[in-house]
Amino acid sequence: MPSRRRVLRSLAGLALSLPAVRAYAAGSMRIASLDYGLASTLLSLGLKPVAVSERADWGKWVVEPALPAEVRDLGSTFEVNVEMLAMLKPDLILITPYLDGLRQQLDGFGPVLRLSIFAEDSGPILPAAVAATRRLGAVVGRERQAEDFLRRSDAFFAACRERIARLSPPPLAFVNFMDARHARIYGAPGLFDNVLERIGVRNAWPEPSNFWGFQTIALEDLARVRDPEARLVAFEPIPGDVRPTLANSPLWRALPFARPGHFSVLPAALMFGMVNEAMRFAGLVTDMLEREP
Amino acid sequence: MTAVARRPFRAGPAVLALVLAALAAAAVLALLAADPAFDGGAGDPMATLVLVHSTLPRLATALIAGAALGLSGGLFQQVLRNPMASPTTLGVSAGANLGLVVATLLMPGLLGFGRDLVALAGSAAAACVVLFLGARRGFSPFSMVLSGLVISLWCGALAAILTLLNDRYLVSLFIWGAGSLSQQSWDVPLTLLFRFVAVAVCSVLILRPLSVMELGEESAAALGVKVARLRVMAVAAAVVLAAFVTSAVGVIGFVGLVAPIVARLAGARRTSEILVWASVIGGAVLLFVDAGLQIVAGRFSEFLPTGAITAVFGSPLLLLLLPRLKTRHRMLPPAQTPRRPLVKGRKTALLVAAGLAVAVLVGLLLGRSVDGGWALAYGTTAGELLPIRAPKVVATLASGALLAVAGAMLQRLTGNEMASPEVLGISAGATFGVAAAIFLLPAPQLAGQLGAASIGAFAVLGVILATSLRSGLAPERILIAGIALGAMVDAVVGVLSSLGDPRALLLMRWMSGSTYAVNAGTAGIVAAAAALLIILALLFRRWLDLLPLGPVHSRALGVPTTLSRLVLFVLAGLMTAAATLSVGPLSFIGLMGPHLAREIGLARALPHMAGAAALGGGLMVLADWIGRTAFFPYQVPAGLVSALVGAPFLILVLRRRA
Repeated sequence: MPSRRRVLRSLAGLALSLPAVRAYAAGSMRIASLDYGLASTLLSLGLKPVAVSERADWGKWVVEPALPAEVRDLGSTFEVNVEMLAMLKPDLILITPYLDGLRQQLDGFGPVLRLSIFAEDSGPILPAAVAATRRLGAVVGRERQAEDFLRRSDAFFAACRERIARLSPPPLAFVNFMDARHARIYGAPGLFDNVLERIGVRNAWPEPSNFWGFQTIALEDLARVRDPEARLVAFEPIPGDVRPTLANSPLWRALPFARPGHFSVLPAALMFGMVNEAMRFAGLVTDMLEREP
Repeated sequence: MTAVARRPFRAGPAVLALVLAALAAAAVLALLAADPAFDGGAGDPMATLVLVHSTLPRLATALIAGAALGLSGGLFQQVLRNPMASPTTLGVSAGANLGLVVATLLMPGLLGFGRDLVALAGSAAAACVVLFLGARRGFSPFSMVLSGLVISLWCGALAAILTLLNDRYLVSLFIWGAGSLSQQSWDVPLTLLFRFVAVAVCSVLILRPLSVMELGEESAAALGVKVARLRVMAVAAAVVLAAFVTSAVGVIGFVGLVAPIVARLAGARRTSEILVWASVIGGAVLLFVDAGLQIVAGRFSEFLPTGAITAVFGSPLLLLLLPRLKTRHRMLPPAQTPRRPLVKGRKTALLVAAGLAVAVLVGLLLGRSVDGGWALAYGTTAGELLPIRAPKVVATLASGALLAVAGAMLQRLTGNEMASPEVLGISAGATFGVAAAIFLLPAPQLAGQLGAASIGAFAVLGVILATSLRSGLAPERILIAGIALGAMVDAVVGVLSSLGDPRALLLMRWMSGSTYAVNAGTAGIVAAAAALLIILALLFRRWLDLLPLGPVHSRALGVPTTLSRLVLFVLAGLMTAAATLSVGPLSFIGLMGPHLAREIGLARALPHMAGAAALGGGLMVLADWIGRTAFFPYQVPAGLVSALVGAPFLILVLRRRA
């Protein structure tokens, strides 16, 4: 049962939000983001979020762009610390459909903006992320910066595509190892798959994934990758016992990936991100292909 | 051995084992017939490799792991003379699992070579605690299984929170905890086979004294069997087997319980028969399930963990077998040792009330600032923070009180000191309801989750009561039925989680007893329910005073046995469901509250329940406060805090009483 004070405050918040947005557009708008991708997009629009949920793990999953030290931690994404929100009094709280269950908890702590990137019906992820970037730019009064950023990203993808076109690359399959026997493999639809298409690399994994862009497989399922030229790319972090187990597995040794030069490891890249994360992924893949043609 | 072989050979178990083996063989053949290595001719070397290095070793692993679990369960059941004993029900598998989770997170380097040792340490620790608790009650079967279940729950809770706090996107620990048999080489089945054979040889060596144990401890001792030493050896063998299996493939639920029971139902009587046929049946069952699962999973191209699936099917089987298990094992009357109160009379009430007040004030006023420093809420800050904190304090207070009173009632009703709402399976039913809401509804709001939780809780309560009505609602029946259903629900949730759907995290959060979703509305409902139900419970104090005397005496004193059980179980169920909605399915408050109340000298039903309510409520408020402030801004679920602190504390209390 929301108290009358809270209802009034959130109504006032909504009524105020648009003028407030204009007033704050100069750069002092206090935004709390409950999503890594939205937070990194804010940074690219030249806005520093006042707080991000699960900030402690930013360096483990997002890595770049780096988060300024003064950005506060809101606690776990599913249980954003509402006492923190009450004390910080943000002008805007950013969420995604993933956090719809949180909606009621956030009432009264500031206007909430819900941007849909990963959802059952959101279609291809990268275009959805681009649309969400534009919408976010409009709401925070930074349309120009949003267009600049998207142009930069387009140019970056185009450059990657050009660099890769010179290499005639093999098809690639991307995984995160979960333990010595299981992995998540990234397929279509999904952010990584969209980026691969954009930069002209064929995804070696032919099967469809869930709308988050991954599928959980046992490692022997990797045999379903039929192209003998295909390469496997694993993202950090890799659990400790994976490499020794693979080295001892006759099945792994028989897979085309086990041949020298067909298995690479890349630093962490966020598979549930937006345009920044797509760019990081594209850059990592392109650099890798140039490094190990 | 020769002495055993001279006796007539019983065909029943052999026939049954043969049938099961034939079923397993049929499933294996069906699986292999569809294998691309045979399907498309010899053209595809990769398909052959998958067959030789993945499919076949996986089937071999299933066979060996099943046999090992069957033998382990058989050993447990024979040496403890307990038809409900098994690696699952004694918490041994869960202990091994917890050991491995802790090692994975804290010392990943250890897993390379010391994996088995880690699993062994975990399962041995769990077994020691369960045996210790059981020894105090003369190894009474139901006491042992209840202690084992409590240990299982505790290990599971700890493993879950460690994972939640450390891992955002990778759910590997859940997959593995749910028991997956997939293989990439013959390493695992071969090492497991070697270990299984080694332990099996050891069991043959103790077979003779173990058979003599059938005559009863006194006769065995008179015949020169060193009972204590034999018990330690047999239990050690069973624990080692379970630890090896868990270390190799994760937790495989219920095979170790079902295999020896099936062997016995098929007519196996002597120890040697039970051990042999339990191994064979265990192997056949797991092989059948795994081969069948691969056929099904191949069609849906989904990932399904075998261990959770065996639990989904194994636990209802336990429920069906329950009426047939007319135990030839003795039940002990409940221990009614008088306790010396620490403080006397009115002082006790005052102290308890003061403690409760302190807990509530701390919960409301003491917190952390934006910078993470400690801060007392006052003035405008209090105006902002109290509306957030007050509902949590009220809801945890009410839920803690509800659980504690429900626990006190159940303990009096069953005469079992380990009885609690968690073991009644009602919490598990609520969990299942929430799981269904999260996975089936597009965007479940809080109201939907709460509704689903209540439906689940009452469905389970209904099933439990219906299946035990014929036995006149015998308390042991109800507890075991609760365990079986609870395990099944856990397994279903395990399957859902291991599919890797990010929504599973949402569910884990709720299961770990988070008060995050509690708002003024929920707090009001839970508080009203608490007031109403606790007053109702206090009205039944006469029944609760007399029931611990046993059915014969209490009936003589005018307590209608079946009616009083029905009323009190329904009441305890309602209390549990109401509390579970706000603090999750697992808190151990229902165990701790009543024991603490007894500890301070509250023996009669009325003061016992009132004291339990105050203590349980206060503890839950403190647990929530610790959870909110300890790792600020990250929050540890209140249910988990109380479970983590509560279980070891409880063991200390019980030890002191021994």
